[in-house]
Amino acid sequence: MKKNGIKMIKIKAKNVDVFYGKKQALYNIGLDIEENQVTALIGPSGCGKSTFLRCLNRMNDVIDICRVKGEILINDFNINDKSCDVVRLREKIGMVFQKPNPFPKTVYENISYGPTIHGMAQSKQEMDEIVETSLKKAALWEEVKDRLHEPGTGLSGGQQQRLCIARAISVRPEVILMDEPCSALDPIATAQIEELIDELKKEHTIIIVTHSMAQAARVSQNTGFFHLGQLIEHGSTDKIFKNPDNTKTQDYITGRFG
Amino acid sequence: MNLILFTFIVLLGFTSYYFGRRKAYTIQSSKKRLTALPQFYGYYLAIWCAIPAFIIFSLWAIFEPTIVKLLVLSDYSNQGYLDDELNLIYEKTKSLSRGQFTGEITPFIEASAEKYLSLRSIAQNSKAVIVLSIIIASVAYAYKRISSNSRTREPVEKFLNAVLFTASLAAILTTVGIVFSLIFQTIDFFKVIPLFDFVFGTHWYPAKAFVRDSSEALDPTMYSDTFGAVPIFAGTFFIALIAMCVAIPIGLMSGIYLAEYASSKVRQYAKPLIEILAGIPTVVYGFFAALTVGPFLKELGTSMGLEVSAESALAAGGVMGIMIIPFISSLSDDVITSVPQSLRDGSYAMGATKSETIKRVIFPAALPGIVGSILLGVSRAIGETMIVVMASGLAANLTFNPLESTSTITAQIVVILIGDQAFGDPKTQAAFALGMSLFLVTLCLNIVALRVVKKYREKYE
Repeated sequence: MKKNGIKMIKIKAKNVDVFYGKKQALYNIGLDIEENQVTALIGPSGCGKSTFLRCLNRMNDVIDICRVKGEILINDFNINDKSCDVVRLREKIGMVFQKPNPFPKTVYENISYGPTIHGMAQSKQEMDEIVETSLKKAALWEEVKDRLHEPGTGLSGGQQQRLCIARAISVRPEVILMDEPCSALDPIATAQIEELIDELKKEHTIIIVTHSMAQAARVSQNTGFFHLGQLIEHGSTDKIFKNPDNTKTQDYITGRFG
Repeated sequence: MNLILFTFIVLLGFTSYYFGRRKAYTIQSSKKRLTALPQFYGYYLAIWCAIPAFIIFSLWAIFEPTIVKLLVLSDYSNQGYLDDELNLIYEKTKSLSRGQFTGEITPFIEASAEKYLSLRSIAQNSKAVIVLSIIIASVAYAYKRISSNSRTREPVEKFLNAVLFTASLAAILTTVGIVFSLIFQTIDFFKVIPLFDFVFGTHWYPAKAFVRDSSEALDPTMYSDTFGAVPIFAGTFFIALIAMCVAIPIGLMSGIYLAEYASSKVRQYAKPLIEILAGIPTVVYGFFAALTVGPFLKELGTSMGLEVSAESALAAGGVMGIMIIPFISSLSDDVITSVPQSLRDGSYAMGATKSETIKRVIFPAALPGIVGSILLGVSRAIGETMIVVMASGLAANLTFNPLESTSTITAQIVVILIGDQAFGDPKTQAAFALGMSLFLVTLCLNIVALRVVKKYREKYE
């Protein structure tokens, strides 16, 4: 969204280094993410794009040996600061994973999980509303409205992934992180998710890690290219794909390596 | 003699393995392709060498004594001896032939002893000859069959299949045999003691059955009020309940701690330490309960003005619970660890805390396994014998006061079967009836466990 023609910056990463034990995975990353836009992170496997994504909601905390240095400002607040409450942070920054990972619960319980733990609904009725709107936004409502109380794990792969997206948006996050959300899905399910991403960017800022150049070109407005733990180039998707500054970017996008 | 023959068969088996393989190499060296690896030819020959020989060998061992006996006693037929007398004559013959006979030696017996000895030596020699000729015949047959295009892999694989099948069959047949022996003895028991009295009677006092002289006729009325199993069933479940009250919370919580909270270093040391508990023999737990915990509880209770028996259900159940902790802890730890990391990530990414994640996501996902581990613990608690025998007394009191002594099914089986028993006596058969009930209870538990696990599997996978 533009405010007086100036793009609003939602997330600002400065000098981010990440270490797994002694091995450094990310080197001095600096990247601005614009609000209500889709930012794609591309690059060959092991380049650190998923690691960077996981820095943004501090999911790397879960890994014992992982250390993160540098500043990540979200709404001008450094989330790597000691005063940051991870629970609140993750309420604001939702995440969708590579493989659909619905909880072994019913469809309804999968969606109501977040609102319950954050105390967002005061009554059963309110919760029903949250579940319905989340599923509608995730374009899943029509398919599952009659089977809300069946296990979420019984849905098809594409439906499961949309269920996970619905679960993520149920707590009305400002940012949604997507880690290769379509890599386990067929082309039709992928098209549905991409359509959905376009719709979701009206209300959320979206960062998507993808291995598919075509997907990055289709869904994103901005793109960052990672290689060997470094952010080689970032800018508008148009520019990166049509006229990149760096030859490595050029080579990767045209399929000469990676 | 048998040992020598046996060793000989084994040695010949190895030798024929070697020859079979060598023949395969010879075929190979003449630039022909083998249908299997050379060792299959070796196995093929070894199987042909040893298996027919062993079959003859064991059949011989089974039938030889009977045939010899028939032949020796054939001299005495038509002389009007009773079977018992014939058996006695045969025993005398055998001991005389071993030079251990001390009584009066009649010419008859001396003659049969000689006949016995000559028959035995004929049998031994002909056994050796027959077994060896079988080996030669079968090895020669098999060796001739080995050629570049003969099949050896399939017969060897089939043989292994048969061996494995026999092994599993043996396990199954043993179980079936045990169940049948339980069933028949139990039926005999219930012919004397009405089922109703057993299931609903409230007095268990098998010592009363000792009073009967075995020459007296069975009089069912004298057993009324003797074999009422209610007190010991109640005792069994009561002690198991106390044990599970100790084992489930502690075991589960330590399992959760190990799986989710403990650092890998703590886990590395703590898990084996907890599992040591499982390695302590139950008899050690038994005297720990009887000599340490029991008296301690009694003193503690007395100081508080309570009347506590030195052999209390609480002491036995508590110690039994400690014994079961490692099963529940270790199994639930395994189950929780095997919940996919993606579910944890999903929950953390929603902003859930660790305890919320465990309570709402991991625990439900791991529930089938946890229920399984608990039911396994219950089975152990019900089947545990030593601790109860030592620490909870043998008198079958019908009580639900944990401070009094009570007894269990297993302890009563021990009481009944220690010392001399008479077969066909209701007292002995009572042990079978108890064993049968124990078996049924555990069977039901297992069925319930499987159902629970299956139900949640369907729901969650």
